[in-house]
Amino acid sequence: MNVQAASLPRCFRHEALLLVLLAAALLSLAWQSDRFLTADNLLNQARLMTEVSLIAIGMTFVIVSGGIDLSVGSIFGLVAISMGVLWQSCGLPLPLAMFLAIAAGGMAGWLNGFVVTRFGVPSLIATLATLILYRGLAEGISQGRSVRGYPEWFLQLAQGDLFWAPHQFWLLTTCAVVATLILGWTTFGRATYAIGANETATWFSGIDTRCTKVWIYTASGLLSAMAAVIFVSRVSTTRSDMGTGMELEAITAVVLGGTSIFGGRGTVVGTVLGLALIQALKNGLSLAGVKSDGVIVVIGLVLIFTSIISNLCSHDEGRS
Amino acid sequence: MPIQKRFAEKTSTYLANIILTSVLTTVNINASARSWTGADDLPTAPLSCGTSTASAAPRAYDGGTPVKAPNRKDKRLNVVDVPKIVGIGYFNATSKGIAAAAKELGNVEVRTDGSTKANIDDQITSIDNYITRGVDGILFAANDPVAIAPILKRALARGINVVGYDADAARNARQWFVNQAEFNSMAKVLIDTLAREIGAGGSFAIVTSTFVTPNQARWIAEMSAYQAKCFPQMKWLETVEAQEDNVLSFTQTTTLINKYGNKLAGIVGMTTVATPAAAEAIAQAKKCGKVAVIGMATPNAIKPYLNNGCMKSAVLWNPVDLGYAAMYALRAIADETLKPGSVSLKAGRLGELKVVKGSEILLGEPYVFTKSNVNRFDF
Repeated sequence: MNVQAASLPRCFRHEALLLVLLAAALLSLAWQSDRFLTADNLLNQARLMTEVSLIAIGMTFVIVSGGIDLSVGSIFGLVAISMGVLWQSCGLPLPLAMFLAIAAGGMAGWLNGFVVTRFGVPSLIATLATLILYRGLAEGISQGRSVRGYPEWFLQLAQGDLFWAPHQFWLLTTCAVVATLILGWTTFGRATYAIGANETATWFSGIDTRCTKVWIYTASGLLSAMAAVIFVSRVSTTRSDMGTGMELEAITAVVLGGTSIFGGRGTVVGTVLGLALIQALKNGLSLAGVKSDGVIVVIGLVLIFTSIISNLCSHDEGRS
Repeated sequence: MPIQKRFAEKTSTYLANIILTSVLTTVNINASARSWTGADDLPTAPLSCGTSTASAAPRAYDGGTPVKAPNRKDKRLNVVDVPKIVGIGYFNATSKGIAAAAKELGNVEVRTDGSTKANIDDQITSIDNYITRGVDGILFAANDPVAIAPILKRALARGINVVGYDADAARNARQWFVNQAEFNSMAKVLIDTLAREIGAGGSFAIVTSTFVTPNQARWIAEMSAYQAKCFPQMKWLETVEAQEDNVLSFTQTTTLINKYGNKLAGIVGMTTVATPAAAEAIAQAKKCGKVAVIGMATPNAIKPYLNNGCMKSAVLWNPVDLGYAAMYALRAIADETLKPGSVSLKAGRLGELKVVKGSEILLGEPYVFTKSNVNRFDF
């Protein structure tokens, strides 16, 4: 458990940096537009960022364990279209279709983990293959048709409010807290760090690395599946091209949050801060009158800036 | 690279079909039971054959209404234009028309902002931000008619005027829609033109963007209905997907030529990208005059093919006029000269435009470009 102890101060530093950046962004954006720093607007952002956030939380585990999951966007599309087809064409009740579709997402994630652990295929290649496979399945199942006409109660899942906040706000908070606890305070979480730091050593110290990794990929699939159901409810339609490119958005948030792409280092808190920073920039800059292309440029610059700063810090530490 | 990726996706689609048929043999899926033409499953309304045009019965206004909209009569309007995608010729032209109309009107501030990807989520988020920011009017071209509806309804609930152009949303999610050409009349013109070039018994194939793209799917559905009704001898060989990608459209057309050989008499391009690419493929295969190419195209892209005889005609409307009319419609709503029950819209240099189907403003009949008129256009 040395791994975690050694990495804690560094991680803390990165998260502190993010927190400062986030505060600076919030303040300067609020100064640019008086509609930005209102409870109404900020809570609405939770609605918009939940899908990517859920995927990014799963991705944090994957990347901390030294892997990558490129197939999340395709799982997202596959789950969305499976749910629609099971409900509308196969005539299953919608709750059952939702359950089966999410289970299918879990299976898709499990298959990733199985291929990675059983055959030793690098996760980049394995999930690149399933990225194509799952998208193809989604297109094949949908036959190019979109599924519409969901009942009102289903649309309320992602369009309604509980107390004073969107449903997604509560779901996201719960997931973030649970994930923080699992990664930071359980044996499973410590095994995840250990695998990312040195998989062979972890294997020889008696931890079932294969089993842990299969669970991580399955969880990543399940979270993408949940995100897909929420997204379908929010936009009230299902298309096979949903979730295209989502893997990159999630990975961006995770690495911005300070998770090392080589594994062994990173926290859920960092990821959540990264997500919040990106969303604040997207929303705030847009409210301040910056066009979409400008917003992407700023996000790219922030990502480079934070990784440079973060690298400088860790270099200094390494020398001392 | 995209072709390889596409190929891999195709391969996995076939794989998917194999898996599907083995897994789901007991379950009858409606979608796969029908023949796959790339059409959507909405009802069709084919026009009558020949040259007679019957006018549809007038319908009551069925658009949405903004809640507690402030009085904007003759006041300065702050408007945002959210096209499907920015940075392509077609939507550059609509934005140009919108800006021109705004300049002419003098009391409108308009900006175009959209994603560089035709992505439903990006579009929704963008509109959401503009609602929060506070605008008087929204002009949109929907990437998905259903997905965009909730956010447009929210705009209406905040008293914002909402007008669509090019690609519609659910009718009650916007006030008016400027329709470039009705789907069934577009379909009629395309099939009539095709029949003229390949004969009433010819075989043809279609190159479309994707089977999910709403406008294309609608046109194809109307085309197949009209063809079945008026030219039952025509043979529809296949519909292929080519995104809106130049290289892919070229490759797909070449594949069609090789696959069907002399059976293939005509190709219809459903996007402004596919049509010139198909013409280029025909030219390179030295099949000019043997295989007819028609379809939607912007004049500049097809001038060379019309001039060298590889193509005889192409169909489109003027996207600059489309944007121009949309801007005038929004201004007219704010000035309350266009309201439920109106039968026409005064749109500057375009003159009076007809209101059709309750809450749509018709830009006009589709325009057929030929060798004799194409040089008059520049877009």
